[in-house]
Amino acid sequence: MKRRSIFAATALGAMAALLISACSSGGSSSSSGSTPGSTTAAVAFNAGLNSVVNPSSQKGGTLTFDNSSTPDSFDPGNTYYAWVLNFDRLFAMPLFTYKSCPGTCGLQLVPDLATDMGTTSDNGLTWTFHIQSDVKFEDGTTVTSQDVKYAIERTYDRSVMANGPTYYQVLLKDPTYPGPYKDRAKNLMGLTSVQTPNATTIVFNLQAPFPDFPYVLAFPNTAPVPPAKDTGTNYQLHPMSTGPYKFQSYQLNKQLVLVPNTEWNPATDPNAKQLPSKIIMNLNVNQADIDNRLLAGDIQVDSAGTGVAAAAQAKILSNPTLKADSDDPYTGFAFFAYLNTKVAPMNNVHCREAVEYAVNKVNTQTAYGGPYAGGAIASTVMPPNIVGYKKFDLYNALTQSTGDVTAAKQQLAMCGQPNGFTTNLAYRSDRPKETAAATAIQASLALVGIKATLKGYPAGSYYTDFAGAPAYVHSHDIGIAMGGWGADWPDGFGFLDELSAGNTIAPTGNTNIEELNDPVVNNMFKQSNSQTATANQALWPQIDEQIMKDAGILPLIYAKALLYRPTNLTNVYVQAYYGMFNYAVLGVQS
Amino acid sequence: MAVPIDVATGPGGPEPVAPLPIPGKAIEGRSLGRIAWMRLRRDKVAMGGGVVVVLLILTAIIGPHVVQNPDTYNANLINPTFLRPNGAFGGISLAHPLGVEPETGRDLLARIVVGAQYSLLIAFLSTCLAVGIGTFFGVVAGYFGGWIDSIIARAMDLFLAFPLLVFALALAGVIPSSAFGLSGNALRIAVLIFVIGFFNWPYMGRIIRGQTLSLREREFVDAARSLGARAPYVLFRELLPNLVAPILVYATLLMPTNILFEAALDYLGVGLYVPTPTWGQMLASAVQNGYYYIDPEFMLVPGLTIFITVMAFNLFGDGLRDALDPKTR
Amino acid sequence: MLFFITRRLILTVFLLLLVSMITFAIFFLVPRLAGQNAYELAAQYVGRNPTPGAIKAVEIKLGLNDPLYLQYGRYIKGIVAGIHYNNGPDVSYCPFPCFGYSFRNDQPVWPQLISDAPVTLSIAIGAAVLWLIGGVAIGVLSALRRGSFFDRLSMGIALAGVSLPVFFTGLVSLELFSYKWAIFPNVHYVGITTNPLLWARNLVLPWLTLAFLYAALYARLTRAGMLETMGEDYIRTARAKGLPERRVVLKHGLRAALTPIVTIFGLDLGLLLGGAILTETTFSMPGLGQFTILAIQNQDLPEIMGVVMIASFFIVIANMIVDIMYAVVDPRVRF
Repeated sequence: MKRRSIFAATALGAMAALLISACSSGGSSSSSGSTPGSTTAAVAFNAGLNSVVNPSSQKGGTLTFDNSSTPDSFDPGNTYYAWVLNFDRLFAMPLFTYKSCPGTCGLQLVPDLATDMGTTSDNGLTWTFHIQSDVKFEDGTTVTSQDVKYAIERTYDRSVMANGPTYYQVLLKDPTYPGPYKDRAKNLMGLTSVQTPNATTIVFNLQAPFPDFPYVLAFPNTAPVPPAKDTGTNYQLHPMSTGPYKFQSYQLNKQLVLVPNTEWNPATDPNAKQLPSKIIMNLNVNQADIDNRLLAGDIQVDSAGTGVAAAAQAKILSNPTLKADSDDPYTGFAFFAYLNTKVAPMNNVHCREAVEYAVNKVNTQTAYGGPYAGGAIASTVMPPNIVGYKKFDLYNALTQSTGDVTAAKQQLAMCGQPNGFTTNLAYRSDRPKETAAATAIQASLALVGIKATLKGYPAGSYYTDFAGAPAYVHSHDIGIAMGGWGADWPDGFGFLDELSAGNTIAPTGNTNIEELNDPVVNNMFKQSNSQTATANQALWPQIDEQIMKDAGILPLIYAKALLYRPTNLTNVYVQAYYGMFNYAVLGVQS
Repeated sequence: MAVPIDVATGPGGPEPVAPLPIPGKAIEGRSLGRIAWMRLRRDKVAMGGGVVVVLLILTAIIGPHVVQNPDTYNANLINPTFLRPNGAFGGISLAHPLGVEPETGRDLLARIVVGAQYSLLIAFLSTCLAVGIGTFFGVVAGYFGGWIDSIIARAMDLFLAFPLLVFALALAGVIPSSAFGLSGNALRIAVLIFVIGFFNWPYMGRIIRGQTLSLREREFVDAARSLGARAPYVLFRELLPNLVAPILVYATLLMPTNILFEAALDYLGVGLYVPTPTWGQMLASAVQNGYYYIDPEFMLVPGLTIFITVMAFNLFGDGLRDALDPKTR
Repeated sequence: MLFFITRRLILTVFLLLLVSMITFAIFFLVPRLAGQNAYELAAQYVGRNPTPGAIKAVEIKLGLNDPLYLQYGRYIKGIVAGIHYNNGPDVSYCPFPCFGYSFRNDQPVWPQLISDAPVTLSIAIGAAVLWLIGGVAIGVLSALRRGSFFDRLSMGIALAGVSLPVFFTGLVSLELFSYKWAIFPNVHYVGITTNPLLWARNLVLPWLTLAFLYAALYARLTRAGMLETMGEDYIRTARAKGLPERRVVLKHGLRAALTPIVTIFGLDLGLLLGGAILTETTFSMPGLGQFTILAIQNQDLPEIMGVVMIASFFIVIANMIVDIMYAVVDPRVRF
């Protein structure tokens, strides 16, 4: 009796199945993505890497950003996310910034609020900077060096500012300063390692020479904060702007609206532009929605900067018009595996070299998303968009990308394990790409007899409790650990120091997971502290090569992201350090 | 999500049918169970559902040992630019009867079969937990009445006041990766079974309580008591056997709810850990990575599998209930 | 009658208190039973590469090293009397009801719950209206035309409806009606005060997806209930009295069959108001459901507690209303 009702039910299911598979077979060019009324010439794929696409000084229009999650904070002193560092330049002017230009030009550090690159004295222990005298906050008050000092001071109170970088505590004297909220002394200027002799001069006292110090000052936490207007944990709701835009409204976790800052003087800030008459950022939007809206021209930018998801990627790459409107830059991230130098038998360099030869890097590239969305196969620790990158290939990663089994077996013989060995492979189990890559590595190692057992851990505690805790690594025989890295600033120190210097090994939150403690590497880092940044450019590739000779790291890919630029976006190009479009100069064709 | 339970059920079971005299054959009385079974057998659709259920259970038990490794990564079957499986319909071939996953090339059939194991195991154990606790408290509340009944009823109210999905999500999210001597998936499975089963017991409890309330007025209970039987005897030897029917029916109807619930938790990312194949997680990855566009089969296969499994249980449960109480046919 | 209502109200408050105690205890104890200490817990709420001092500072700020009863006491006191919170340079005050401050962004939880609630209410109530009317109507018609083609078709679809996971139905409908054929393009939430037409239009897909599932359930339930009631003697009497069929069905038959429907409706709506999590995630609507997911991803305990309390509140209130309605309708219940 219920037979026909069953047919109805199954028919429903089958109909849906047929409809979907018939209609959405990949490769059909559905929407072309061009907005009506745009008259720009067709630009090529990757044009935004080295040239400005759609240059324009036309003002007006609403620029809309979407993001699939939320910032850690819009308080410039309390953020560490790459896209937020990029976006903050719209309303926060730090002492230094990266030059707004396409290509490797964009890796250059240039003064922003500062007037020049600063002077050192006292054997590099003291840095003196001057700031511009006519920069104003959004309420018209002039910025003084004390506002910059206060901005740095407030980052010392970690109970209020929990997220940002922690370089000041490590580099400057007076590391135990409790922050201006707890220390109300001296008119809130209690940090003794920073002095402000006059309204336009600021002096820093370091514990030890550090030639890369100006890079540390490129974070938005040096953007001035007027002490009278500091509202602590609520400052994120409306920071006092020194950039071309200011906050109009901010609905937490939902939407931010920016409007032009009338007090901004373009002559003081050549690295930013004030073109759109309104900027909107929508938060917590589904990635699939973001991609569809981008392709339809409803929004202009996916602010996370990590690229489109698989569906949009397929649409873009199979349609020449859409492909011409996209760029595939290096994001500045590299994904690799740490080969532990203390866990047996990986503590023998030849066993590690065997792993370097054996892994099938094409498979890991596909695991991370293929050549467009994943990245390029890597042979060095530093990716190409870092100052100091030099191309070399010690383990045939580029010439024999599917793995060199012969060489691997030779190395195994040399380390006394001709039939392979067993070890554990740690990875973050809630990251599907990393899981796939770990599985691929396991499979290719099995071909030479190395039996790697996969051990998955949650990403949230991976660095604090598992891979980043040497005691755990030793007791659980984790010879290989997956990981990824992006530098805090684009030079060899920023990229390599925490990954490989012997003195960075820590009991928890360890970033030198391979526990490399090579005197050659350590000495080169020590040497870099007493040279200038320019002289160090020759040093970084040597450190990179030494790490690879030690086989401490197995490079897998230099990450890339497939970014789509809608045709109504103007002045768009990739800012090399961020690996995303430069958000400070965008305009929109209305 | 509410369980499709009839709150109003009739007392007792189906009416006995008087046997017709057949020349030469002794007249045999038919027990209630026998009658129900005959009625069930006649319901072809419910039997169909039952067959599918049995097949699924067999697949879940035997399948994982027969299919290939669900974690084997076959990059050679994937187009590296589009991350789409090579070949039509998601890469269907003799080696991979249901195709492969995009981007990783893992065999879909293997992942579905292993996923079945987890889904059915968790659903079954949590149903057992809910049924066990619910029956116990329902019978006790219904039989003793008075203040015992009040307290148990209040406890049921309390548990029903917890927003089940929210709570399960939050709990599964808060538990670290190793605790109470278990770790990884074993811990997650235990947590899921506990949460789904433990917070679901009031549904069973209420029904069993209702059934017990009506049963305790029947003559056989009085008879047992007048013979000097104590409460435990009456509960377990007299009442419980008569409750087997509704327990079975509602347990079978609770299974699909729990399967859907577990799939929902996997979909939201708090189910089993990611490399483990589960149906809900496959759907989640189809959505998050946008695979549904380049390979719609990857979304349809797990979705339809859940659909078929749940429907089979629903059909069988419906049939079972109709067989025991034909008025609601 | 008033006495009955007062009793139920007191019971409700007591129940909510009990729920809050159990929830708080579970979320508090579980990580500790699993071996995590306050320091490790605090580390989750700090940014990248934190110094031990930073973690310690956060641990103290969030009061993670205090014993359970103290943290719980503070929490309840906060709800009732408000909290004074050190935001850095001054102290801010968050008035009743203060569900604490988010561990992540130090912003009060209650205003966030309030701003997310209208979305969930829009989805839940809209779908509820659809499924109640639709489900009951189909159930009644199926029961009356028992065995007909309509009956079998509708029960078949209903069976499909309760067997399909709601996120799957949502995904398929999004793919077909929003991405493939742009009948409902760009589905995102628009406030009813901003643009009522767009508000309704963007909600059609979530409404239909949710309503499909529940209408299926209610159709089956109504049909079963109707069949049972229509077989009773008093229906035969009513017909014998010569009453019009419509009156017999609606006034006598449906009225009796509705009792279990109303109970379950109350429960379902109450549950849904606490956050239609699956629907909201599928259609990316920023309601309480999405808020829950984000709170859990961030391990943000005050937000998790807040949303569990709100959801419990809706369930318990719904239960209470249903009980009161029973008491109004059936005097025997008011003991």
